[in-house]
Amino acid sequence: MTNHWNDLQHTDCALIIGANPAENHPISFRWLTKAKENGGKIVSVDPRYTRTSAQADVYAPLRSGTDIPFIGGMINYALENNLIHKEYVANYTNAAFIVKEGFDFNDGLFSGYDEDTRTYDKTKWAIETTEDGKPVKDATLTHPRSVFQLMKKHYSRYDIKTVTAVTGTPKEDYLKVCETFCATGKVGKAGTILYAMGTTQHTVGSQNVRIYAMLQLLLGNIGLPGGGINAMRGESNVQGSTDFGLLFDNLTGYLGAPKATVPEHATLKGFLEKETPVTGYWSNKPKFVVSLLKAWYGKNATKDNEFGYQFLPKGNKNYSHINLFNAMYKGELDGTFLFGTNPVVGGPNAGKEKEALGKLKWLVAIDLWETETSAFWQKEAGSNPAEINTEVFLLPASASFEKEGSVSNSSRWMQYRWKAIDSRGEARPDLDVIHELALKLKKLYTGSTKSADKPFLALDWNYGSGDEPDIDLVCKEINGYDLKTGKLIAGFGALLDDGTTSSGNWIYSGFYPEEGKNFAKRRDNKDTGNANYLNWSFAWPANRRILYNRASADPSGRPWSKEKEVIHWDAAQKLWVGNDVPDFKPIVSPTEPGGANPFIMNKDGVSLLFAPTLNDGPFPEHYEPFESPVPNAFSNQQLNPAVVIIEGDFNKKGTKKNFPIVATTYRVSEHWQSGSMTRNQEWLSELAGHMFVELSEELAKEKGIKNKDKIIISSARGKIKAYAMVTKRFKPYNVNGKKVHQIGMPWHFGFKGFATGDTANRLTPHIGDANTMIPEYKAFLCDIRRAD
Amino acid sequence: MTKYVKYVDVTKCDGCRACMVACKNWNDLPAEPTEFLGSVQSHVKTTADTWNVLQYIEHENGKGDLEYLFRHSSCFHCTDAACEKVCPENAISYTKYGSVVIDQDKCVGCGYCVQNCPFEVISLKEYKDKNGKEYRKAHKCTMCTDRIDEGLQPACVTTCHTGAMEFGNREVMIQKAEKRVKEIQGRYPNAMVYNPEGVGGTHTVYVLAEKPSVYGLPENPKVPTSAVAWKDYAQPIGKMMLGATTMALVGAFVTNKLFNKEGKGLDENGGGSDE
Repeated sequence: MTNHWNDLQHTDCALIIGANPAENHPISFRWLTKAKENGGKIVSVDPRYTRTSAQADVYAPLRSGTDIPFIGGMINYALENNLIHKEYVANYTNAAFIVKEGFDFNDGLFSGYDEDTRTYDKTKWAIETTEDGKPVKDATLTHPRSVFQLMKKHYSRYDIKTVTAVTGTPKEDYLKVCETFCATGKVGKAGTILYAMGTTQHTVGSQNVRIYAMLQLLLGNIGLPGGGINAMRGESNVQGSTDFGLLFDNLTGYLGAPKATVPEHATLKGFLEKETPVTGYWSNKPKFVVSLLKAWYGKNATKDNEFGYQFLPKGNKNYSHINLFNAMYKGELDGTFLFGTNPVVGGPNAGKEKEALGKLKWLVAIDLWETETSAFWQKEAGSNPAEINTEVFLLPASASFEKEGSVSNSSRWMQYRWKAIDSRGEARPDLDVIHELALKLKKLYTGSTKSADKPFLALDWNYGSGDEPDIDLVCKEINGYDLKTGKLIAGFGALLDDGTTSSGNWIYSGFYPEEGKNFAKRRDNKDTGNANYLNWSFAWPANRRILYNRASADPSGRPWSKEKEVIHWDAAQKLWVGNDVPDFKPIVSPTEPGGANPFIMNKDGVSLLFAPTLNDGPFPEHYEPFESPVPNAFSNQQLNPAVVIIEGDFNKKGTKKNFPIVATTYRVSEHWQSGSMTRNQEWLSELAGHMFVELSEELAKEKGIKNKDKIIISSARGKIKAYAMVTKRFKPYNVNGKKVHQIGMPWHFGFKGFATGDTANRLTPHIGDANTMIPEYKAFLCDIRRAD
Repeated sequence: MTKYVKYVDVTKCDGCRACMVACKNWNDLPAEPTEFLGSVQSHVKTTADTWNVLQYIEHENGKGDLEYLFRHSSCFHCTDAACEKVCPENAISYTKYGSVVIDQDKCVGCGYCVQNCPFEVISLKEYKDKNGKEYRKAHKCTMCTDRIDEGLQPACVTTCHTGAMEFGNREVMIQKAEKRVKEIQGRYPNAMVYNPEGVGGTHTVYVLAEKPSVYGLPENPKVPTSAVAWKDYAQPIGKMMLGATTMALVGAFVTNKLFNKEGKGLDENGGGSDE
């Protein structure tokens, strides 16, 4: 989130799309209810009328996989009706930048496309620069190659008629959404966009988020209370997991991992030169990378050995979930560790993922219960144990209240938790498991001269002398030290690239600045102003609660409005002051160079309406999902031209002839993810005990299905059985004059626990987003029939 | 003594069902797996082991718009409680807070309360003693009277995160409900306070978005005159003359014949879509 949960109460309009917080993030409604009491509006856009829709002032349906047309049309509406915040756009975005000649967009393809590799040459999307490297601008925004004009042209194709013919949204509903949300372009108003997996789990997932950000920038809604673009994370600590580099192509703190395929990455010097921009806050990247290497390799990281840079693995492949399971299926992997993950229920094309596990020599599952995954070889999984040679180890894990540590929530707050009760039996915290494994492997490799063992031996693993690691030492390593004095470092501003500082994760540096001051443990619930609660826990970076809050003030440093004030320039004190920690150098005055550039992480200090960084284009463009019942109305490019397509057995593709119905998956309040925790709780299993599929009354009638009937749902990948839940809350869409049906189902169920049922992911395709490889769970084709 | 009211504003409810889990947790009630009901709703209605049930209703209003309505349903704690009046064992009583509770030691499981509750929130549970002999006890929401005794609020209220439920002084809560109805009538023209006079008012007071019948609630619930006659006249005289056991049989006759109660007040479909 750019903002935070409590801040939702300040919004004038919450556009909730690709998410159903009333059911899946219920506590958000504590704040959204307050927003409503303050006169704020809620807009719910969802393929199905949900409990969030029931709480909304405006509801509009859309067919799964059509977010870009939906928001693209809103951008067009805001531009055509002059509802944008012009001064904000002109000063705080790259709208005025001139794109180099040669950039083109034609029939769904941007310039620089190579059909054979399905990739773009992004240098074809460059900004024109002056001799000293500064972007060429046209402050009037009228130059035909200005970002503003190119954007306007691009989205002029997204007119209301075309958009609603693609999304299937009734025109009057669509206009009501446009009108209600675009009203937040006014100074003194702020709108927020709330999203979740309904947005990201598409082959255009990253661009879905991008286009939300573009709309918010045009309306001047970023950096303001009640504004922002806010991802509601689906797990209590999934924010923490991405912050700490659990994504395959990240080190910690969103530092990209080096790759064997990039020649410059062969040396630390080359890597840093290639990946460090000259201007903007990322120009400090070498300090963060070297400090990270010092945290990991300690004394074994010296100036002479590139601070241990060569110990880092430099992969030459895409190591995403989808590709790993594909490799596993082909027998390329020997073993795997699965910590609290259940791909036999949660993975895309889960039936095939289950088969892939059987190709492993060994599998270590660390979990609270035996899950469908650690039991994949059993008869109830549909497997023949005699044919499976995988050796499975199940290590019992401690639950969150049985261990100490922190979780980072969607608000970026790192909140410390203490152990409430002892673990049962032999269960142990994940951290202990990893600690003991590391110590044993280090012992095993002692004296080895093999180059593969060197990185492991070089690891600085000093978390106390006992079997259990001293978690306080882990916290301190994350914060980092001044290695010259041995004292904790005050924050990332003090990190250096000469090997004299360390920090395990630069964005968290500063949460533990002094002995005895672990800010994640703070619990002062006094409102320090505008519900930012600055003394409650620690929000990365630097305890800032609203990111880009410099943008809440105009270029001269005055808040755009009294209502939405965060920080302002105090000329007497020569300081930025306000109710939040400035997301800006607090001593840089508005008139100094860069003093009016709020987007400090970007090279030019402005946000990017035109972003030459993503794999699939500088502007979000609509492509249909991998499986779709209709041709793309916007171009002849049916599927995102930059996605990786895995061919063959693992990813069979269905066509509308055999599978005419659009399907999506979602969660219910009572179950969590693959259900391995909640389906083992009797009170939750009682409340949501049956696998069901929601379908419209119209589709039920066509198929001769009655409410509560058992039905078969089939896709090109498999078929499952479930109860029919016939509902008024799904309606067929009118897509370009044709009737298109959509159904939806929860993906929580499996064969273990109290509440059992067939697994929805037996149906889902094995394809992912062009940038992140997140699977396209949210839009695929299927068919249904009565089971008997 | 202050009379309390559990205030339920159904228009603020998001149907999360934390109230159901909190109730089972505090009252130590077992899970009660049910058949699939064709909607998100888990139980048709309250039972002896499930003292509150979240109703989910798909309702097309007068304008043809779809409303997705939710209601936390449990005991109303009537001021004139039919259950209290018909109980031959005086097992049911009013507490000083206004809640209506069943004394499990006195309950003989005759079921008159079950049959006479205008809201159908009381149920019998079957038990077996160590000799294998079957017996029954009536159960329902206690308004967490044991928590109120300790200065706490009912578990469902404490856990509610949207402010759909509050607990407090009866007059204050009723005023709040009346004010809230005015606020929401723009969106819900049929919105009303449900605090029926026929039972002397209740200690669970609702702000409903729609007419009571949409939620399967009686529009004008009353304590049946026969129940009044039973409690206030027949029972005291009968007890003097016949003794308790015979009187229970007479009670069954009274309940079945005189009250002539066969129709079901609550929607048996358990919410969900029309079939």
